Amino acid sequence: MSAPLSLRCLLRPSAPVPRSITAAASTPSPWTATFSTTASAQKDGQKMGTPKKMSAKTKGSVSTHMNPTGKKQTMAKFKKNKGAKTGKPPLPGERKALRKRIQLSNNNALPVAGLVELEPKDLLDPTKVGTMVALPGEMQDSLRTLEAFKPTQFWPMFRQPATLIRSETVDLIAQMQEAASKKQMLRAVITGERITGKSLLLLQSMAYGLSKEWIVINIPEAQELTTACTEYAPVPDTEPVQYMQNNYCLKMIQAIKKANSSVLAKQATVYSHPELPQNIPINSSLLALLNAAKEPESAWVVFQAFWKELMHKDATRPPILFTLDGLQHIMKISDYRSPAFELIHSQDLALVRLFCDTLSGASPLPNGGAILAATTRGNAPRSPSMELALAQREAEQAGTEPPAHEPYFKGYDTRSEATLKSVKVMKVKGMSKLEARGLMEYWASSGILRATVDEKAVAAKWALSAGVVGEMERASLLTMRP
Amino acid sequence: MATTANSLRLCVRARSQLSALAICPSQASPLRRALSTTPARCAEEGVSGDADELGKKKFYDTAGDVLKDLAKVGKRQARLAQPMLDRWEQLPQAEVARLDKLTKEVIQGTAEIRRPVKVQRNSFWNTNEPDSDMITDEIGEDDFEEDDMTSMAHGKLEEHREYREYARIAIWEMPLLAKFATPFQPPKGDQVLRFRYTTYMGEIHPAAKKVVVEFSPTDLKDLTDVQVMKLKKLAGARYNPEKDIIKMSCERFEHQAQNKRYLGDLVNDMITSAKDPTDTFEDIPLDLRHHKSKVKHRFPKKWLLTEERKKEIEAERQRSYHLDQEKKASGGLIDGVKQIEQMQQLAPVREKVPVRVLR
Repeated sequence: MSAPLSLRCLLRPSAPVPRSITAAASTPSPWTATFSTTASAQKDGQKMGTPKKMSAKTKGSVSTHMNPTGKKQTMAKFKKNKGAKTGKPPLPGERKALRKRIQLSNNNALPVAGLVELEPKDLLDPTKVGTMVALPGEMQDSLRTLEAFKPTQFWPMFRQPATLIRSETVDLIAQMQEAASKKQMLRAVITGERITGKSLLLLQSMAYGLSKEWIVINIPEAQELTTACTEYAPVPDTEPVQYMQNNYCLKMIQAIKKANSSVLAKQATVYSHPELPQNIPINSSLLALLNAAKEPESAWVVFQAFWKELMHKDATRPPILFTLDGLQHIMKISDYRSPAFELIHSQDLALVRLFCDTLSGASPLPNGGAILAATTRGNAPRSPSMELALAQREAEQAGTEPPAHEPYFKGYDTRSEATLKSVKVMKVKGMSKLEARGLMEYWASSGILRATVDEKAVAAKWALSAGVVGEMERASLLTMRP
Repeated sequence: MATTANSLRLCVRARSQLSALAICPSQASPLRRALSTTPARCAEEGVSGDADELGKKKFYDTAGDVLKDLAKVGKRQARLAQPMLDRWEQLPQAEVARLDKLTKEVIQGTAEIRRPVKVQRNSFWNTNEPDSDMITDEIGEDDFEEDDMTSMAHGKLEEHREYREYARIAIWEMPLLAKFATPFQPPKGDQVLRFRYTTYMGEIHPAAKKVVVEFSPTDLKDLTDVQVMKLKKLAGARYNPEKDIIKMSCERFEHQAQNKRYLGDLVNDMITSAKDPTDTFEDIPLDLRHHKSKVKHRFPKKWLLTEERKKEIEAERQRSYHLDQEKKASGGLIDGVKQIEQMQQLAPVREKVPVRVLR
C-alpha cells in the first residue's frame, strides 16, 4: 500500500474555503475603481470570491476542494453527470410533457408471433384467461385520447401495446355486458394493492366499451380536479354553490369527441338547448353539440347539455362507460377555496359531483352502462371514509360482519360514505400462475426476458412478487427499463 | 504484574500477625487515664515528648526483644515464642549482628515518617489544625497505610458474606416455611377482585404501600349488559378490552391496608353508579383509544408441511414437469435468448457499402 493512497481517506468532503477577502483586496485588480457607488458587475467580483457567490457557483457538486493554485478539485465519485448543456432552459410545460409522454411502441422489441388483436368477445371468454391480446390501432388512438395509458406502465418496451386477459378482466367485462344487456348500470369500485393492475383493468373496460361502441368518458387522474391545479368558477344559481372547471371540461369534451366520434355522429339530440352559445337545433348530432364547446367559458354548459342528452331514455342510445382513476382524491376536502376562503369539498365541484351522483346511484344511467372508479395507492391522500366504506362493502359481499366506524375518530367524511353506500367492490389481487406464465411468455417472445419460460422460472418470479403484476415486472424487466 | 505483586505484598503484610501483636500488645497501656476531661499532658505523665525516644520505645531494637516481650504476654504466646527464642539464641553472632544492624537502619530510616506532624499555628486559615468538633479525626483518615486490604477487596468480601448469609437462610430456614404453605384454591365465582401487593422483604420502600386491584366487569353476575357497559365506560382508560379487565391502583395513603380499603370502596361505588338507571350512558360509545392491541403473527396452519401438503406439492411438481415436457415436445416452450437469435437470422442482411476513409 502506498502512503498517499491510504492518506487519501483523510480527505473529507467539505465546503470550499473562500479565499479571504482581505487577501484578495490586498492585491487589487487594476480595473477596480478606487471608489465607486455602483456594484462592480464584472467577472472579477466572482473571482474575489464572496462566500455567497461561491456557494451558488458550486451548488451542484457534492464535494469540492480548493487546491493551492485556487482550482477546484472534485472527487471523481461525487462528480455529477450533467448532460450536455444546450444553454437554454426548457420551456414552460416542456418538462411535464416529457414526463407525461406516452410511447406505445418500440422497434427494438421483437414482434410477437401469434399475437391476435383484441376482440370484445375475447374479454368475456374464461378460456382466454392468461393470453395476451394486442390493442388494435384505432383503439390505441382512442385510448390515448382518453388518457387510458399511464406513463408509469411498461408500454415503451414492446413492439405494440398488448394486454393480458385476467380472470378479473373476464369478471368485470361480463358484469358490464350483463348490465348493458338489461339496460342497467354497473356501479363498481376497483381496488387493490399497489401495482396490481387497477388502472389496466380500467383500460380494458374502456377497450371493451370502445369496441362495443359505448360512449366512453374517462377522468384519467382525479387529482387534476381536486388539487387546485385547474381553474374553477362558481356555477351561477346553485345552492349550495357548486364550482365548474371549464378548462378541464373543455379538455375532456375534446377527448370524448375524438374518442367516440363515430358513435356520437350517429346519435341525435332530442332537446333544444337555449342556454348554449350556439344554436343547436333538435335532431342534430351529439358531435355537433359537443362542437359548440369552442371556448372554455362555455365548456361546462355544453357538457351539461351533453349529459342531459345522454340521460334521455331511448332504445337507440348506446350505454355509457364513465371511469375515473384515483378515487381517494374525490373522497375528501379539495384544495380549492371558496370566496370566504373556506376549503371546498371535492363533491361541490360540479364535475366530481356528477360522477359521484352517478356512482352512488342517485342519478342512474337510463340507457345502461357502467361507472367505474379505481383507487390509487401510489400518490393517494388518506381517505378513511373510503377505506371503511370499501371494507364494509367487501364484507357485505362476502357475507361477513362489516367493520364499524371508530367512534372517536374525527377524520370521516359522511358525503364520501354516502357515495359508496351501495357500490360493488372488485378487489384486484395477484395473478394466478397461469396468467403469470402467459405474461412471461409474451416478454420472452418480445425478446426482453432472456430466459426460458418454464414452470420453474414462472414459479420463482411468481413467488417473489406474490403474483402482483408490477412486482413481477420489477423483478424481471427493471434492468431493461429505458 | 506490578499491581498484583503490590496487592500480594499488602495482603501478606496485613496478615502478619506477629508484627501486629508486637506493635499493639493486648495489655492496656498504663499511661491511659480512666476518665478525664482535660487533655493528657505528656510531660507530666512522665512520657518524654522527644520523638526519637518515643520511636525507640515503640519499636524494638532486635527480633530477640520482640520474642522476649511476646513470651511475657501470655501462656499461649509464650509457648509459641519459646522455640523461636531458642532458635534465635542459637544463631551465630555475626548473623545476629547483621540482623540487628539491619533493624536499626530501618528504624532510623523510617524515623522521619513516624515523627508526628507539628501544627503550624500561624499558617493561613490554620490549615493543618485538627478540628476538634468533628467526631472523627479527619486528618489522614483516608490515607492508606498499607496495613489492610483495598476497599474493593473489602467490598468483595462483604458480598461473599452476604451470599453466604442467604445461602444459610436458603438451606436452614426456608424449608421451615413449607409448614405454612397452603394449597392453591382458585377463586370462587363471588371472589371477583384480585389484589396485588408488593413486599420488599422488610425493606422500607416508597412503593410498598401500593395496592392494585383487577377485576373483569363481566364477572359481576348481578349486572345487566347495559350496566356492564356503563361500568366499562366509567372505568375509562383503566379498561383493557383485550383481556376484558379493569385495573386500578392506589398509593394515596400511608398504609397498604388503607389503600386496599379505598380501592374496595371505589369498586363498590362504581358498581353502584353502574346500576344507577338515571343515566345509562348508552348514547356514548365505549372509548378504546387508549388501547392498542398488538397483532401477533402466527405461522399459518396452511403452510405446515403435513403429509397431505407434501403430496400436493409433489403432484404440483409432477404436473408442472409434465407440462414443460409437453411444451418442449410440441415446441411451445419459449426461450427469450433463442427468440432473439432467430429474429437476428431472419433480419435482412445489410449490404456492405464501401465507405471512404478520411486521410
